[in-house]
Amino acid sequence: MTVGSGSRAGNGLVLPRRTLLKSGAALGLSGLVSAPFINRLMAQESHPLAGQKIEMNILGIAGWLPSSLGVQMSPLFAEFAKEKYGYDVSFGFAEAPFSDLFQKAATSLATRSQEYNIIISDSQWLGALARPGWILQLDDIIAKNPNLQLEWYSQTVVDTYMTYPDNSGNRWGLPQEGDTIALFVRKDLLENEEEKSAFQAKYNIPLPQTFEDFEKLTMEDFEKVAEFFTRPDQQLWGTASQYSRVYDFCTCFLYPYMWSQGGEIWNPETGQVEGILNSDINATAMDQYKGLLKYQPQGALNYGIAEIIDVFTQGKVFSAFQWAAVGLGMITDANRDQVMVVPPPMHGKGADAKRVYSMGGQPWVLNAFNDETKMRVAIDFLNWWYLPETTLEFAKRGGNPTDKATLSNPDFDNINPWNRAYKYMLEPGRSRDFWHHPRYSEMLAVQQEGFTSFMTGTTASARQALDYIACQQQQILYDDGSAAERPSDACSAVSL
Amino acid sequence: MSSRLMPGVLDNRRFLVFALLVPVLAFFVVFNTIPTLWLLGLSFHKFSLISGMPPEFFGLRNFEDIYYNKNGIWGDLGRTFLFVGVGVTVQTVLGVLLGFLFWGSKDMPGRRIALTLLFTPMVLTPVATGTFFRFIYDPTFGVLNALLTGGLGMGVVDFLGNPKIAYWAVLAVDCWMWTPFMTLMTLAALGSVPKAELEAAEIDRLSWPKRISLVIWHHGKFILMLGILLRTIDAFKTLDLIIPMTKGGPGQTTRLVAVELNKQSFESFNMGWSSAYSVLLLLISIAMTSIFIYILNRRRRAR
Amino acid sequence: MSHRLRTWTYYGVLWLVSLLFFSPVAWIILSSFKTRNDILATPPKLVFTPTLDNYIDLFTRNTSFLLQLGNSILLSVSAVVIAVFVSFLAAFCFSRFKPKGTDFLMFLLLSIRMLPGPAVILPVFLMYVAFGWKDNHLALILFYAMFSIPFSVWILKGFLDGVSTRFDETGRVNGGSWFHVIFKVVLPQVKPGLIAAFIFNLIFVWNEFLFNFIIGGVTTQNIPYALAVGAYSDGGLNWTFISALTSIYIVPPVLFIYFFQKYLLVGMTFGTVRGEV
Repeated sequence: MTVGSGSRAGNGLVLPRRTLLKSGAALGLSGLVSAPFINRLMAQESHPLAGQKIEMNILGIAGWLPSSLGVQMSPLFAEFAKEKYGYDVSFGFAEAPFSDLFQKAATSLATRSQEYNIIISDSQWLGALARPGWILQLDDIIAKNPNLQLEWYSQTVVDTYMTYPDNSGNRWGLPQEGDTIALFVRKDLLENEEEKSAFQAKYNIPLPQTFEDFEKLTMEDFEKVAEFFTRPDQQLWGTASQYSRVYDFCTCFLYPYMWSQGGEIWNPETGQVEGILNSDINATAMDQYKGLLKYQPQGALNYGIAEIIDVFTQGKVFSAFQWAAVGLGMITDANRDQVMVVPPPMHGKGADAKRVYSMGGQPWVLNAFNDETKMRVAIDFLNWWYLPETTLEFAKRGGNPTDKATLSNPDFDNINPWNRAYKYMLEPGRSRDFWHHPRYSEMLAVQQEGFTSFMTGTTASARQALDYIACQQQQILYDDGSAAERPSDACSAVSL
Repeated sequence: MSSRLMPGVLDNRRFLVFALLVPVLAFFVVFNTIPTLWLLGLSFHKFSLISGMPPEFFGLRNFEDIYYNKNGIWGDLGRTFLFVGVGVTVQTVLGVLLGFLFWGSKDMPGRRIALTLLFTPMVLTPVATGTFFRFIYDPTFGVLNALLTGGLGMGVVDFLGNPKIAYWAVLAVDCWMWTPFMTLMTLAALGSVPKAELEAAEIDRLSWPKRISLVIWHHGKFILMLGILLRTIDAFKTLDLIIPMTKGGPGQTTRLVAVELNKQSFESFNMGWSSAYSVLLLLISIAMTSIFIYILNRRRRAR
Repeated sequence: MSHRLRTWTYYGVLWLVSLLFFSPVAWIILSSFKTRNDILATPPKLVFTPTLDNYIDLFTRNTSFLLQLGNSILLSVSAVVIAVFVSFLAAFCFSRFKPKGTDFLMFLLLSIRMLPGPAVILPVFLMYVAFGWKDNHLALILFYAMFSIPFSVWILKGFLDGVSTRFDETGRVNGGSWFHVIFKVVLPQVKPGLIAAFIFNLIFVWNEFLFNFIIGGVTTQNIPYALAVGAYSDGGLNWTFISALTSIYIVPPVLFIYFFQKYLLVGMTFGTVRGEV
């Protein structure tokens, strides 16, 4: 404990230094009375919480590696806080899976409870958490804390993790984990000479080998590769992607087919869905995505994040579309040398071919009902989170930072096998997020029902499923007052 | 002790009745009456927990929405009744057969252990059951498909992904859990038949169908009906089995009433609409309770 | 000889049926002694080198396991004890004094148990939100107690109806107070009913997930919650965790049905059916 570190702690805090000192002194006195922290008096004077014991609770996503990284790293913050600010902080954790975390957070925040002080939210929940006033708007805090005024890698980061409503500039979250879709492939199979020549002979194109090869790969050619490696008799299939009914699993991996080919999902300005989502482009996209099932193990209709990790790490599939964030789960000690992570294929042909994939990842948000002490610690925590050392440590442990400084570091690409693909997909225009609207969970639920209904063959035509989803979502947005138009009369006849 | 001090008060009959009932009534008022009134009130309001707006009076709009099949709930009700109908029938038939099979095994070595094993599915945590059955059903890693392909030489079946099979696969798990219950009820029903009458039937050389229809059915029917009714009510509520297995998918194929209500109330936080839906379900459950009480009372009168 | 053979075949079939029903549970227990790779092996492995790692992990690495187990025990035992006690009083009243509205009250009590879970918890949740009772042990215990009361009242009333009123009268004539009659004379006679009510409701609360998820929280989470939440881990579905936890968690209910087999029926039919299996 040094005086120097104490004075540095004043940087980047919300309160003006004078009040800070005053309250610090007051707390110091009370610290004197309650004895054991006397020797830290110097540090206490510089931070109003010095000498206190504070318990914080983080709510994170269960089974999601980056969330648990944030949680596992929090003892480092405790050390840091002890040294710099002189207070003791301990962390409790709660988790819920993706599908239930919003439920967990919302049922707690609705009671104005401080049960969870810091929450790792999914990006699409920003609206639902912000509108009832459950989470703190961060603009003022960012303005007062230079540490939080980072330059982000691309505008996509700001749009995805921070802003609600879209394009308003109001910031409610700060990125915890950046995430994009990547393609995990089995390098050992690609580099096998026999496979190479067999593939060349069969399709008259070379088997893609490098990151750059995959950068140029179109979906049409990728399907050839997937077909080539689909060998059920050897318990090997060409690829795996998500089709599960749970949460947004099917949605996130179907959207790239729509967006990359020019499809749209709604008009955020007018709240119009009908006529935009149920377009011919999107119907074709759904047919194509369903077609990809040919190259996947049976059971792919129930694949979510975890199931894909299981089939990939058990060597059942040649490739897998998966979030870069679960790279640590996809790449184990056993398959480390066999895996390469590359950008997922482009859609379309020739010069028009492009890729627009879904954004994943989560922001930190702060409980608006935190008392002054907890809020203070939460802000200290965020300040610490974006320190270059912390960010680097996060990346080294397998997380994906989003700030320009860290990502532009030439060493970044080599920290983890998926970093290069992640960064590539984070470039402007290659990935985007969808609705941050408060009615997100409702819109998602009907959409997941519609999409999986088509994928599993319950609903025969893609167009019918899209009509159903569009009508339902139009109604939800109209009821909410966000859409100008009510669903058209044609909707009354539409069902799954 | 206290009773000695105020014997007069406690022995006042009226006061005693009141004192004995107060705790239960207190529980009942706080945790049932107040919430139910709340529910009733909300069912006439538009209220979303995430809109940040107070409830807005809505009249009968929520009920109209239900009538006009908002969120496709008539489909859910249909699926639920099918689930109840088929499930309870299968469980009853299988359970009764097993009950007859176990009847007369009083001297079997290890009978108690065997019955414990048989009844275990009933007490397994449903969440764990659902999660683990997803694994057992898995086309790639699941043991069931390994048995089908390896043992019987059949093709791989995607139990939970194929919309034509998923519903029945979920139902099969429900039957696995609850057939033992019907066995238990059958054993009880058979146990209620007086030994003397059975012996008399044996001496008279009555044929088995006659023995069943004349002797056993007469004594055992009440218990069996009760079992069927209890299963009907429970199957109607099925939720924690489905959530880990299919979440109501693929599409809407396994979406039962409780699943949709759970989604609308605690995922979408549409409290107004969900309240109205709950009121509807409350009416259905009151109807089922009435049937239950009716059967009970008829038996009491018959005695 | 042939008679003996027939008997043994018969017993063999019965055992086979029991084992068949038990086999999925056995598969879970077997899996809990496997490594992750053994669990995911294709074709599934029956022969493997058993490991205790999954259990060791549960106790050492999983920080909230003991909290969740403690909560499971605390919530279920205290809720059911409270419920059985107040239900006994009410059942005694219903059985002996038959106050006006007995039938109606018994009916209302039962109808709560007929509603789907989300419909029950929805208004309670809104109430807890308004009063700030969420994630509070007492509030959760009281709610579980409330949920255990209907069946307990039904079970105990069935038993009390079977205890002759002669006992009460003798007790009263001999100068005993009602307090004496209720707790010293009648209570011991319905012990089987108390046990049945206790076990039946205990198993329900023990396995309850939804209510704990909705109105519980960080400090009140129980094991079913952990099973639902912990199913996903960083490297795919966490089969080792689920299988080990399920295997531990099923021990108490299985012991109950083994030792209290004769009460099982009473519990499952809320006292309307008595008799041994």
